[in-house]
Amino acid sequence: MNIFDSVMDRTDALQAGAAASALSVKTKFPLGQDGSLKANQDRGMGSATTARLNGLGGWWRLSAVLGNPMVTTAALPLLLGIVLALFARFALPATSPVLTLVWAALLLFFYWDTLGPPVMPPVAASQKLIYLAFAGIVMGLLPERLFGRGTSSLAVIALAAAFLWLGWRRLASGSLDLQMIAALAVGLLALIGAAMLTAQQASLSPSVEEPFLAPAAVLALSLASAIVSVLGASIVTGQLLGSLAALIGGWCLVQYVVTLRGGAADSWRKGVEFLLLYAGATVLIQVALLAPNANPAALVLSSLPPIVAVLVRGRLLGLLPGARPLRPLVAGILIAAPAILAIVTAIVWAPHGAALGF
Amino acid sequence: MRTRKLIAALAFAGASMLAAAAHADNYEIDGQHAWVTFTIKHGIYGIAHGQFDAVKGAIVIDKADVSKSSVKAELDVGSIHTAFDQRDSDLKGPDFFNAAEFPTISFESTKVEKVDDKTGKVTGNLTISGVSKEITLDVKLLNEAQAPWDATLTKAAFSATGKVSTADFPMGKAADGFGLGPEVEIAIDLEAVKK
Repeated sequence: MNIFDSVMDRTDALQAGAAASALSVKTKFPLGQDGSLKANQDRGMGSATTARLNGLGGWWRLSAVLGNPMVTTAALPLLLGIVLALFARFALPATSPVLTLVWAALLLFFYWDTLGPPVMPPVAASQKLIYLAFAGIVMGLLPERLFGRGTSSLAVIALAAAFLWLGWRRLASGSLDLQMIAALAVGLLALIGAAMLTAQQASLSPSVEEPFLAPAAVLALSLASAIVSVLGASIVTGQLLGSLAALIGGWCLVQYVVTLRGGAADSWRKGVEFLLLYAGATVLIQVALLAPNANPAALVLSSLPPIVAVLVRGRLLGLLPGARPLRPLVAGILIAAPAILAIVTAIVWAPHGAALGF
Repeated sequence: MRTRKLIAALAFAGASMLAAAAHADNYEIDGQHAWVTFTIKHGIYGIAHGQFDAVKGAIVIDKADVSKSSVKAELDVGSIHTAFDQRDSDLKGPDFFNAAEFPTISFESTKVEKVDDKTGKVTGNLTISGVSKEITLDVKLLNEAQAPWDATLTKAAFSATGKVSTADFPMGKAADGFGLGPEVEIAIDLEAVKK
């Protein structure tokens, strides 16, 4: 089986296996395993009941669409990212705290949709992720004037605390295998990247690519981590990171169209940058700590985009072309370079090809 | 006089406890003769089978008062096998048994009820991925006898069955029925060595 067949296998599994079951969970209707109402009739459900369910056609179809993980992981967040960018363009300034709240609400929606409702007290690391996201949101909602030099320290402390909270069982076991070494490296690099990126202050006269640097960093980190996670047999975190990447992708798409039309792209508020970066980094740390099949080198590479994003404003600035529309594009490619390498590494050295073993 | 009464009471209590303990037999699960197996729905198709190879634990059998019997067992998640390496590997991942964070599954009885001379119900807390849920196993005592080849060896053999829902545990994808899940049927056959 070649790698592409394997990838298709995994995609088929996502679509067929999860869609049918997620559908029955999310619609609250007692659908058959194949997701059809006919199956209910075959199982002895009365035709009146089935007719009543069919009468709810519009809602049922909407639920069916939302029940498809490919929709909630990619299409819906992409669309919402576009809507959010348009909202920032025409309704509210991108620096508005209200917009930060909308980002936070969307983020929590995708956490809830992927991981389920919060569990109190959280026991497994996956149950802790939504609380970490919430903590990131609280910090992200701090007044903008507080995001100064101290933000780096805040990012370092918050990520170190997240690493310890998510990984204390792994750390307590004392095993220092290759995966644990990779997890420590990922934690350290994510911490350095977050500290460097959050320390960046907006220029008085920002270059055309500047509003894209932080979004590109979080997008690249999330997208690479999503694929590494799925190929490492951690589907839930893969879906979550995929949602985050698509959401930011929608935002970037609108901003780039604005740039192409000669306008100035909107920058993220520092709070938005913090909460999204924190969300992506904490989920990546969880994958590194707990997905036994995730490729260690790919994990390490996935954590690098925030560092590269800072370098693009400094040492790598000379690599950007003079042409205005190309500058954000080339900056994005530079930031995404380690992420692309991570994806290639994860696919080429996937432990069992790229197929799930069900 | 008062001291003598106290000593007598203590002696009586101690003797009673010893007598009670004398009724209880302690067994240790024989890991080489333990089959903890399960079946789980495979997607929209058939039934997948699996087994945990590494099992350990202790059983206390009190024949005089069965309700004082108890079971404590531990499974090594890393020992799961389902006749396909890749599936085993995926099942150890964070969406299912999360072996890196929770390397063991444990069961500790809270109530043992006698149904008849050979059967009973064992209720207890099953802990998977750090979350405990109460389950009840239907247990059958198959045999308890001295080994014909070794007078010092006495073993008891049990069969047990039960049901678990992965939705009760932090097993995101199994609970969604992604590939495997959500309901699991457990079938256990094991022998235990009298201590």
